[in-house]
Amino acid sequence: MTNLRLLAGFAAVAAVSLVGWSCETNRQALAPTLGVPRFHFNEFQCQPLKMTGGGRIDYPPGTADKNDPATHEYETFGAHVITSGQFDEASGHCLADKGSLEWVDHRPEMRLNGSPLNLHATSITFADLAVDAPHCTDGAVHWGGTLRVQNTGQEDLQFEVWDCDAGEPGVGQDGFAIRVIQEIDGIGDYAVMCDPSPAEPTCTLTGGNRQFHPTH
Amino acid sequence: MNNESIRAAIRFAGLVLPLMWTSGSVAAQMQATARASSYGVSVSTATVNQKSPAAVLPAGEMMATDQASDVTVDGLVSVQDAFAIVNGDLTDGSGAVSSATLGAVNVLNGLITADGVVAMASSTVGTSDAEGSSLANLVVNGVSVDDPAPNTRLDLPGVGYVVLNEQVPTSGGITVNMIHVVLQQPVLGVLGGVTGYQTTGDIIVGSASSSVN
Repeated sequence: MTNLRLLAGFAAVAAVSLVGWSCETNRQALAPTLGVPRFHFNEFQCQPLKMTGGGRIDYPPGTADKNDPATHEYETFGAHVITSGQFDEASGHCLADKGSLEWVDHRPEMRLNGSPLNLHATSITFADLAVDAPHCTDGAVHWGGTLRVQNTGQEDLQFEVWDCDAGEPGVGQDGFAIRVIQEIDGIGDYAVMCDPSPAEPTCTLTGGNRQFHPTH
Repeated sequence: MNNESIRAAIRFAGLVLPLMWTSGSVAAQMQATARASSYGVSVSTATVNQKSPAAVLPAGEMMATDQASDVTVDGLVSVQDAFAIVNGDLTDGSGAVSSATLGAVNVLNGLITADGVVAMASSTVGTSDAEGSSLANLVVNGVSVDDPAPNTRLDLPGVGYVVLNEQVPTSGGITVNMIHVVLQQPVLGVLGGVTGYQTTGDIIVGSASSSVN
């Protein structure tokens, strides 16, 4: 009987050790540093994750204070991304499994064809976990893909976002920033990025919330 | 079988199977559900029942959107540049955010006007808020109303009343209606005097709801 207990004890210890080993970060999935330095979003890692939610930014300036609503200087959005953390050597990024982005810029100077600028993601291609964004206490992700300008039908513009979950509540803490790589017809270069802010280069949410989920 | 496959198999055996063995699965019992919906305009009367644009977080998806450049219900309401966006995670119920935004708004032939409406609702487990909601250049019955406090009620003589920045707690969440007009008609007594008011319809402009429970 004593031998059986001893055997059971060894088996339990071995099982716990095996499970612990299986849950260690897959260090082979480490991504190299990508692109040029961008504030705190400079070092990345491939890891299974999700980022969900939406919100409002009052840019410019993109701080935690709302602009006077009468100025219409604000943007609203919904966005999420999911990755299983697979590194893609060809692009130097972690492959995204799925995601979406709906972005509306309500600023009068951004109206196109009589409507607020409306960007709609048509594909989400990458999602890199930022490991050097200490303000984003719950998690930070640099992700992107391609989008369509709904106002004009202009397609296949590449975009990238910087996405920051700095805990609860999201307002006044979480952050989001977007840049469209190619020029938007009728507008030109387009970016809503804030520097400096508590979570560079993201602008601080004045409404809504970002939710980071490590999925392992 | 490579090293990573072996690790994955051990993870499954060590972490997932024990959950499946427990009666009813602890994970399933603990799972919260997130819900989110929003719309630009809703009109509900005896003869009209219309909601547009509208988005509801669907099962199996994490986002839904809808938009309309113009919504007009003759004599009752017209709006421009309306967007409804909802995002959340039904599967793990950790959070949900919904928004409805509108440009020019005209209710009851100019009785209420505004040129920028944002309704925003956000929920995580145990907390919900309407931060980010706003009304721009709001005029009610000829009077400017700046940044109304939650649940500000103003009478509309001959029509009923309006609740501005209406915030209604729901189970695990909140519903925000930025302009909620309640249409009423008087109830007359036998001597012709007004004995009360009867609700005959609702007009809601800019509504967002979210919950996690």
